[in-house]
Amino acid sequence: MAIPLIVEDENGLIEQARRGDRNAFGELVSRYYPGVIRIVYRLCGDTGLAEDMAQEAFLRAWLALPSFRPQSSLRNWLYRITVNATLDVLRRRKDEPLEDEADRMYADQAAGPETSLIEKERVALLRQAMHSLPEAARSVLVLREYGSLSYQEIASVLDIPVGTVMSRLNYARNRLRELLKGDLLQLENEYA
Amino acid sequence: MHEDMPPLLNAYLDGELHGNRLRELELHLSGCETCRNDLKELRLVSARLQAAPAPQFMPAGRFASNLVINLPRRRMGEQPAQPGALAWWLVPAVILAAWFFVQTVFTLTDALTAAQMTDLLGQAARWLNGGQETIWFAAVTSLLGSQVAASQPELSLMNTLNVLGVHLLDGFLWQALIVLLYWAWLSIWWLRGRPHSMKMENAVNG
Repeated sequence: MAIPLIVEDENGLIEQARRGDRNAFGELVSRYYPGVIRIVYRLCGDTGLAEDMAQEAFLRAWLALPSFRPQSSLRNWLYRITVNATLDVLRRRKDEPLEDEADRMYADQAAGPETSLIEKERVALLRQAMHSLPEAARSVLVLREYGSLSYQEIASVLDIPVGTVMSRLNYARNRLRELLKGDLLQLENEYA
Repeated sequence: MHEDMPPLLNAYLDGELHGNRLRELELHLSGCETCRNDLKELRLVSARLQAAPAPQFMPAGRFASNLVINLPRRRMGEQPAQPGALAWWLVPAVILAAWFFVQTVFTLTDALTAAQMTDLLGQAARWLNGGQETIWFAAVTSLLGSQVAASQPELSLMNTLNVLGVHLLDGFLWQALIVLLYWAWLSIWWLRGRPHSMKMENAVNG
């Protein structure tokens, strides 16, 4: 019984927010922020920028909320706005290097200086590999890996056919497989 | 087979394959080492992505509170442009305008026809249709001669009633068509709004 009540509650919140109730919108933001910030961060790879972009995405959602059709999924609609807002900002700052302060944090958490350096390199390598992907392929990969969306949901969020989702995901994972070859070997050894 | 495999391996990895396709792939995997290795590497890529550390972000409650304070004022009735929305709401207006036009045309035509047949307008309305005659009345006139036909007022009255009846039928058909179009629009409008209320009902009824 809990799920229908949540659905009803959410529909009520959406309706109130559509009519201009800021607190209702704030409640929706609280619910969807973890998913949105995860996607933004994995798309841009920068902690500080991710929070700004999440804010930009929710502001756009607030302004566009009157056009939201209540019978569709709010999560998918928010994710679509999030991906578009993030890619817009990334396009504007295309030439600026992205270096995440969080890399240092992960490194500091590691056991010793040597491990710390290796871990830092691994994190940086992964971020570089992600950023070398075309944004279309990266968006699909991020929605799948970090948004846990089905292919059909990704197709709906990005407004592309499911076949295109499959081919972009295939491209992205194969490209990462090539770029992270050494790292994956290490990971395999860790799992073995 | 191998050219088609990578997207299928990804779909398999993501739990997106079902039924026959799933069984076929599992059968293929049991006999193909290359594909098994590819699948293993794709799994590692996915595991590497999942294992990537994430920073600590601002708590959701605080983020929402900060955001709500900074939300811009949204003007009441402000609706971002939706493609086709204007056209959609123009449909009933166009249908009503068509109804008004048809109604006016038929009323005027009937009035002019009646006036002409009763000779109220004299020669002024001869241009209208050169005399309203049904096919059967024209045939009778040609057979009996206009003098004989004119001497039978019942024939003339039946002709007049027939002409007016055809006009009324035309008018009725046009109006029925317009009403049908309006009902179709109303039905579509109702169906478009229905899923939301159904969802709410389902949510309430469990």
